[in-house]
Amino acid sequence: MGELLVMTIIAGRRAALRAADVQSVIEIERIHPVPRAPNFIAGLAALRSQSLTVIDCRKSIGLARGAAADCRAAVVELGGHPYALLVDSVVDVVESRSEPMPLPGGFGEGWSRVAIGMVETEDEPALLIDIARMVAGPGANRAAIAA
Amino acid sequence: MDDLLGEFVAETREMLEAIEGEIVAWESDPADRARLDAIFRFVHTVKGNCGFFDFPRLEKLSHAAESVLAEVRAGRRSADSNLVDAVLAIIDRIAEMADAIESGEELPGNNDDLLIAAINATADDVSISATMQAAETAALKSHGPGATPRSIRLPVDLLDRVMSGISDMVLARNDLARRLRASGAEPTIDGPFERLSGILTDVRDAVTRMRMQRIDQLYNALPRLVRDLSAELGKQVMLDLEGGDVELDREMIEMIRDPITHIIRNAIDHGIETPSERIAAGKREIGLLSAVSRQSGNKIALTISDDGRGVNIAKLGRKAVAAGLFSQDEIDAMSRDDLHELMFEPGLSTAEQVSAISGRGVGMDVVRSNLEKIGGTIKVRSKDGEGSLFILEIPLTLTIVSGLTIGTCGQRFAIPQSYVEEIVHGGSNAVEFSQVGEAELVNFRGQRIPCLSLAKVLGLDDDASVCGKTLALVRLGNGELFAVAVDQIFDHEDLVVKPLAPAIMATGFYAGTTLLDDGNPILMLDIPSIAQAQGLANETRVRTPKNVAIVAEVAAQARPIMLFVGLDGRRRAIGMDIIRRIDVAPRSAVNIEGRRAQVVIDDLILPLLGLDGGTLPEDKIKLLRLSDGQCELAYAVRDVADAADLENAIVPADDDSLIEGVTLIDGEPVTIVDGHALFARFGRAAPRGEPLTCRLPMDDEWSQSMLAPLVLAAGYRIVTSDDEAADVTIVMDEAGDPDISAEAAVIRLHSDAHGPSAGSEGIYRYDRDALIGALKSAGMGGK
Repeated sequence: MGELLVMTIIAGRRAALRAADVQSVIEIERIHPVPRAPNFIAGLAALRSQSLTVIDCRKSIGLARGAAADCRAAVVELGGHPYALLVDSVVDVVESRSEPMPLPGGFGEGWSRVAIGMVETEDEPALLIDIARMVAGPGANRAAIAA
Repeated sequence: MDDLLGEFVAETREMLEAIEGEIVAWESDPADRARLDAIFRFVHTVKGNCGFFDFPRLEKLSHAAESVLAEVRAGRRSADSNLVDAVLAIIDRIAEMADAIESGEELPGNNDDLLIAAINATADDVSISATMQAAETAALKSHGPGATPRSIRLPVDLLDRVMSGISDMVLARNDLARRLRASGAEPTIDGPFERLSGILTDVRDAVTRMRMQRIDQLYNALPRLVRDLSAELGKQVMLDLEGGDVELDREMIEMIRDPITHIIRNAIDHGIETPSERIAAGKREIGLLSAVSRQSGNKIALTISDDGRGVNIAKLGRKAVAAGLFSQDEIDAMSRDDLHELMFEPGLSTAEQVSAISGRGVGMDVVRSNLEKIGGTIKVRSKDGEGSLFILEIPLTLTIVSGLTIGTCGQRFAIPQSYVEEIVHGGSNAVEFSQVGEAELVNFRGQRIPCLSLAKVLGLDDDASVCGKTLALVRLGNGELFAVAVDQIFDHEDLVVKPLAPAIMATGFYAGTTLLDDGNPILMLDIPSIAQAQGLANETRVRTPKNVAIVAEVAAQARPIMLFVGLDGRRRAIGMDIIRRIDVAPRSAVNIEGRRAQVVIDDLILPLLGLDGGTLPEDKIKLLRLSDGQCELAYAVRDVADAADLENAIVPADDDSLIEGVTLIDGEPVTIVDGHALFARFGRAAPRGEPLTCRLPMDDEWSQSMLAPLVLAAGYRIVTSDDEAADVTIVMDEAGDPDISAEAAVIRLHSDAHGPSAGSEGIYRYDRDALIGALKSAGMGGK
């Protein structure tokens, strides 16, 4: 309740990130691909003097459909490594109107893996994203994330 | 006054650090005058300073050490180990006193007289060691808390912030530079901008180095540690340190200091045997302990090896069973490597007796956990009776790597420069590609080297052929060589490598990432992992002394040469040893008559060479003045290029006797002019009635091609028939004593760079100075 959320669109759906976790929202000019890396890793991008690992959120969820409308990404840090979460677009910063809650029947394959739960906001409900699972990609299980 | 005192303490401490290693080196070679002088200077300076500050005890101590060292310098006393011990004890006491002075405490201990007695005792005095021990025990007790050194401590994250700030500035500068270029030349801005740019580069260099330290910092303390330990345990240990220039994060050096100290203690205490045991085992009585650090992909590999008795794995196994960690069946089923791992189990120690040095059983498990804390690993290998090997791998995080940036399929990558042996352009004639099955090979300088296409390895282009591509020849830490084919090679750059996200590291292709000056991120390739994945690398090999010998021999043969461009525009080289100087002479000084040319320099008429196939310049000509010690020649050149070392083999040229052969220098063929042949043909030695004669080993190719010109150049005539008498006879070491008359001289040559085989004396056959000297002295004695 009353938590600030960065509202984004991922694969056409409203997905929220906790604003406290998001360092900044940037526009990525150029992504340098990393050969042989898992396909949800789009590549590396430079942010000032850092290299960001760019995570393609759609692919991390396991959805290949739709192309990014622009190159907006949320910068987060996990385990000392900076990541850029590539999303369709960043809408706004909003306040949550509820605690994250589970949904009977789940959010659908892929989405359930990265979801903390559903949160109500001023207008529509959104999916609250677990950043660690998003970064870990589709192959990772819970144990690996915890480690 | 306080300021002066602070200066004195700081200076003393700085000097102490500086001579710490010297003093141990001096002990191993007491004849080393330079080291002795350094130590003498130290005590002398301390003595002078404390006279000024009125520290009578310090003065007395340093005076005692100074007078003994002065005697050693004068040759009246020899530096035996007792004397060195005593000098060390005094130096230790001086350090303690300096600390006490700084912290304003009472000067520690009061048994200086014991130390002074020890240093003044003569070598055969049996009571010295007792005196020494008493003094040292007392010193140990009086050891106070360490004082703060004269430096400031900064939190590492502050340095990180400064560093990232500077990096941002560089990017901003680059951006500004682009905009300035776009807006056209602006002289009023360009000047200051250039200056700013230069300053920024300097500052950036300094800041990057702030966190880095050479591993020498760690090595410096080791000689003393090894010396003290081995003396205490009655063992003889030789310490060999290598790779001290590897740079490592300051923090990392601190983190590995204790583990390394512990491993070295263990190696001396448990690994290396006593001299009598070693002799009984057929080894040299001096044990060898070596520490080698090497940058290896995204890790620094630090290898500590000894040639002691090796790890007693049977005992380790028994202990593990006794401690209830494993059952006997489990131990029996374990491989040797698994048994080694037992060493790191908490509470296991193989020492029968708990000694003060090691063997408290709290060792290796702590070592491993400390290393793992910083993301490092430790491995042990050993062989019964042959020694053991500890391999520590420490992550590269934040280390600065000199890298080579390369491009393939439009993408850029970096390779650590330390791996790159050479860059070869595939289009050149020196390279031949071949395919065996799916494997691709490149034939370079007569060696078939496996060749990887980077595009293929990285999956960028599965059909990429290595043919005609640019190759980076890469040598792994274990000496294995392979080629990496890329599209382009860009530049050498110093790169600050940062770790990659775990998901990318897991691919095993990359060691880290770094930002280039233009702000683009670039991936650093993990060469050892790639090689391993391609089946090109073996398990780390232990360096054997044999390799060292080979390196020494090659080094002995490397011969300095001077590169120049001849009048005909061709690149040539000539041995540096015969060049006296480079001169310029006017065209008018040259006199050409028929095939003979002369030039007048310094009122001397010298034969002039090097005119074939070229035209003399109009006004002035450059000359190499060659001398063999007796006569001089002038060699005309268009330009003098560079000095180099002749390292590659010389391919002989048969048709021209003045040409020694062709060799590769920096990948280009260069003709070597045979200086000895030049003198042999054109040199006008001082006239003498009858040349001395010399007999060479007849059926030896080497003596005909190499030795004969040298002997001719020294003014000898070579005797060919068996029954003619010779003034000097040269024999190779394999041959028996020649049948010669008593008055004739014999020069014996041997082919081993390290010295003649036992029982004979002679000259190494590539030691041309000694050979020429021998020929000369034989000539004087003969007639």
